[in-house]
Amino acid sequence: MASITIRFYSLWRLYLGKDCVSLDADNVEEALAQLEERFGSQLREQLQARGIKVDGKMQDYSLVLLNGINLRNVKESKLREGDILHVLPPGAGG
Amino acid sequence: MAVSEEIIQDIAKCAETCIAPDGKEWRVIGLKAVASVTQARAVSARRVEIAALEQGIIPRRYLRNMGTIGPDGQIKLLRSAVAVVGAGGLGGTTIELLARQGIGHIAIIDGDRFAEEDLNRQLMSTEEDLGEYKAIIAGRRVKEINSAIAVTTFVRRLTRRNARQLLKDAKVVVDGLDNLSSRFAVEEACRDLGIPFVYGTIAGFSGQLMTIFPEDVGLSSIYGPSRGLPERGIETKTGNPSATAAMVAAWQVQEVVKVITGVGKPLRNHLLMLDAGEGVVDEIELTRQ
Repeated sequence: MASITIRFYSLWRLYLGKDCVSLDADNVEEALAQLEERFGSQLREQLQARGIKVDGKMQDYSLVLLNGINLRNVKESKLREGDILHVLPPGAGG
Repeated sequence: MAVSEEIIQDIAKCAETCIAPDGKEWRVIGLKAVASVTQARAVSARRVEIAALEQGIIPRRYLRNMGTIGPDGQIKLLRSAVAVVGAGGLGGTTIELLARQGIGHIAIIDGDRFAEEDLNRQLMSTEEDLGEYKAIIAGRRVKEINSAIAVTTFVRRLTRRNARQLLKDAKVVVDGLDNLSSRFAVEEACRDLGIPFVYGTIAGFSGQLMTIFPEDVGLSSIYGPSRGLPERGIETKTGNPSATAAMVAAWQVQEVVKVITGVGKPLRNHLLMLDAGEGVVDEIELTRQ
């Protein structure tokens, strides 16, 4: 079991009212499940209160990076002590 | 006498002394004098400005640039071409500031026309120009600000197919786009061409940016592989207020200046996130697998 940090950014930080939390997990899937359980419904409620509808779990409508690289690029699921998950809203505007 | 010697002599005759706010004395040349030499010697204003700077005579319009980049930095900017892809929120402000900074050649790529909903944040848009092509209006604005600058406008959408052709002459490429597939196409072309790419994006009160050199980590570290990504993000729901585009574009221009002049340290391999809503600036060190 590894102790890791989850950092929230931008609107996610605003709506969740915190910029980071710690949790213990063996792998990425376990960490994401805990993330969803602890913060998923709160974030969706906050978004819906502002007329923003999102579908799925937090990782489905967020950018999630493990130690500075998007999870979609990460093949190794096992977490190590001190790992950081960055969770932020996806932006593409210009 | 060679033309260049005649230009130098003309410039020296027109030069004046100017005392900067800190008491430092500069030899300067004004807009009218540059225009006069340009006309007399049938050369471009940019050539006259560069010739003046090489003699330590500063075109007045760049005097406030001297404390940060100096005459040598200004010469590098005037000799450089920068391509801005998209002339909307990010791109419009970027183009305005690049023109004022004195980039020698600005290429503007955008196939869209101005619409009313652009007016809140797209610096180049005015009520009078609604329905006009953004690239054309932006090009006209550059010449109004700084007639010494060469402008090339491309009224077309950048794609993977045409990206290399459109960007090949640039020393730096700036992201003024509003969708992810075009950003990935620009990044790919810039890597192939060996050109630094200044990425930026906005959503609501927040924005992010970084400079991607060909050997650096890039968009894939932030978004994952391009295949399967949605075109747009949370900005479709949060919108983009007036100042967010200007906030990120201003820093993108600083990146361009740093890359070209060698002054300062470009934001490489670090994603800078500006959250004006919460008043927080964050940085994520990006990695590759």
